[in-house]
Amino acid sequence: MTDQQTTERARPEPIKAVPVRHPGRWVAIVVLAVLTAMFLHMLLTNEGFRWSFIFVSYEEGKRGVMFTEPVLEGLRGTLLLTVFSMLIGVVLGVVVAIMRLSPNKILSSVAWLYTWFFRAAPRLVLAVVFGNLNVLWSRVGFGLPFDKQIGALFGIDNFNGQIWSIESKDLLAGFVAAMLALGLSEAAYMAEIVRAGIQSIDEGQPEAAVALGMSRGQVLRRIVLPQAMRVIVPPTGNEVIAMLKDTSVVAFVPVTAELFFQLRAVSARTFVVLPVLIAALIWYLILCSILMVGQYFLERHFGKGYGAAGRARMRLQTIQAEQGGVGAGGAGLGGTT
Amino acid sequence: MTEIPVMVRADNVHKSFGSLEVLKGVDLTVASGEVACVLGPSGSGKSTFLRCINHLEKINAGRIEVDGDLVGYRERGGKLHEMGERDVARQRQSIGMVFQRFNLFPHMTVLQNVMEAPCRVKRENKAEVRDRSRALLERVGLSDKVDNYPGQLSGGQQQRVAIARALAMRPKLMLFDEPTSALDPELVGEVLDVMKDLAREGMTMIVVTHEIGFAREVADNVVFMDGGVVVEQGPPNEIIANPQQERTKAFLSKVL
Ligand SMILES: Nc1ncnc2c1ncn2[C@@H]1O[C@H](COP(=O)(O)OP(=O)(O)OP(=O)(O)O)[C@@H](O)[C@H]1O
Ligand SMILES: [Mg+2]
Repeated sequence: MTDQQTTERARPEPIKAVPVRHPGRWVAIVVLAVLTAMFLHMLLTNEGFRWSFIFVSYEEGKRGVMFTEPVLEGLRGTLLLTVFSMLIGVVLGVVVAIMRLSPNKILSSVAWLYTWFFRAAPRLVLAVVFGNLNVLWSRVGFGLPFDKQIGALFGIDNFNGQIWSIESKDLLAGFVAAMLALGLSEAAYMAEIVRAGIQSIDEGQPEAAVALGMSRGQVLRRIVLPQAMRVIVPPTGNEVIAMLKDTSVVAFVPVTAELFFQLRAVSARTFVVLPVLIAALIWYLILCSILMVGQYFLERHFGKGYGAAGRARMRLQTIQAEQGGVGAGGAGLGGTT
Repeated sequence: MTEIPVMVRADNVHKSFGSLEVLKGVDLTVASGEVACVLGPSGSGKSTFLRCINHLEKINAGRIEVDGDLVGYRERGGKLHEMGERDVARQRQSIGMVFQRFNLFPHMTVLQNVMEAPCRVKRENKAEVRDRSRALLERVGLSDKVDNYPGQLSGGQQQRVAIARALAMRPKLMLFDEPTSALDPELVGEVLDVMKDLAREGMTMIVVTHEIGFAREVADNVVFMDGGVVVEQGPPNEIIANPQQERTKAFLSKVL
């Protein structure tokens, strides 16, 4: 290459120019450095934070408040609740989104009603309602509807069409009620995210798949959803993080095995407020950081075949999808040379 | 003279979108091994007709038979019964389709694109499908691209993959909807070459195209459509060189 060029013409000297100066940047850096130093100074010297209370020991012979048994138990509860409600949310959300896009009017109306209701209801209210549902029914179960009335019609007393049932106090208390409240609410949001994802796929994709003889289920599983994942994953990451923090509302169900509840219990007992809140904050920061790492790898996995440009386009699409518009179809498909 | 079996028989096909009638009685017969090129101005219903042949669109009246089977319906006791999703899918397996915009699956490599349908739809042996897919990709001149993603290929290469993907299902009929219209001029030739090979090997093909040169060279039958009907059809040297209908003359004078 260079040989060829030297035979034609001598290669000019590489450019050695004085780079443009950015004095403004330097000023900003200095200001930020000073502010950071002041902040650290305050964190370390202000007695009010009581770092040893948080990390080392909060009472005679006990560990720091972040690491005591009940708080760790609460942490476990928060994580389990996040995982299970998100599982319900994602699975049900996909189902609701598919129903919403169905050509069948009844299915799509039911899906619309579902999202309408659960997006309107605040999670806190839902949590309390689900915690108190056992007031409405003493038993819940599957079976023939109106079984007693049908029995009466034929003159049978107490005709029982129940196939399976359970005391609702046992089922709908504490953890399960909280999980259902959060999961059902999440499903409404996930349904919207999944719908935006599915609608961002170029129409030619399902069409090509169908023309190859694939069934509707195969098209969805193999072609549409894997591509929609690129649009679905980033906002879902936000949802997981929001859910992690929203688990703190379940204290009203009531569920006690939950991080924030446990930390507040400590603060009620010891009359120490701020350090306990800081401890809670630190836990939430740690958990969110872990989730963000997971999101990074998921995005990379589902971005396969798109390259850096595709990922940038995808971001734009996500924004458009969230704003209710249909994303520009056929990204990454254009005949680029 | 031995009778050549008919691959596609369209009889008075009508298709409307709402109040817009796009196909107003299309008749077309394509013999087995024949190449039919469909020409016509934009909006004349060429794509719609192709899509009706593999039941991507439901026709409103008339009938379409592929290899003797009624498309999308079953005849029982003089009555038509709509086919279930499964049976329609089975019919489509033997009809390959190539689109103007390639429609490769961007999240799969080239090889995965070609292998997907034989493995998932026909549930064929994976190793066997892989060998066959590689052979097909070699045939379209892309053996060095098997592990690339579609986004890393040129338009012409993508379209050749799309042809290989359709061929992997061993179709008895191939439908091409303007396969070169989205390509840069210098890439058109490589796709047309693949199609010519295919025609030479005896594949039955219906090609919607604006490439008059291709039609003249390869087509056994040139079909000119306008306004939702077949205006004129016949061998290329008659239709292209010496059209009888005014509309055909007007169209050809614009594209030639
Ligand atoms: N899904 C649809 N819904 C409503 N109208 C449609 C639909 N598909 C096609 N049409 C209309 O049918 C007419 C014929 O379209 P078609 O795509 O078959 O034309 P074409 O001959 O393939 O044209 P082109 O050369 O531009 O591809 C057009 O007026 C188009 O607007
Ligand atoms: Mg068309």
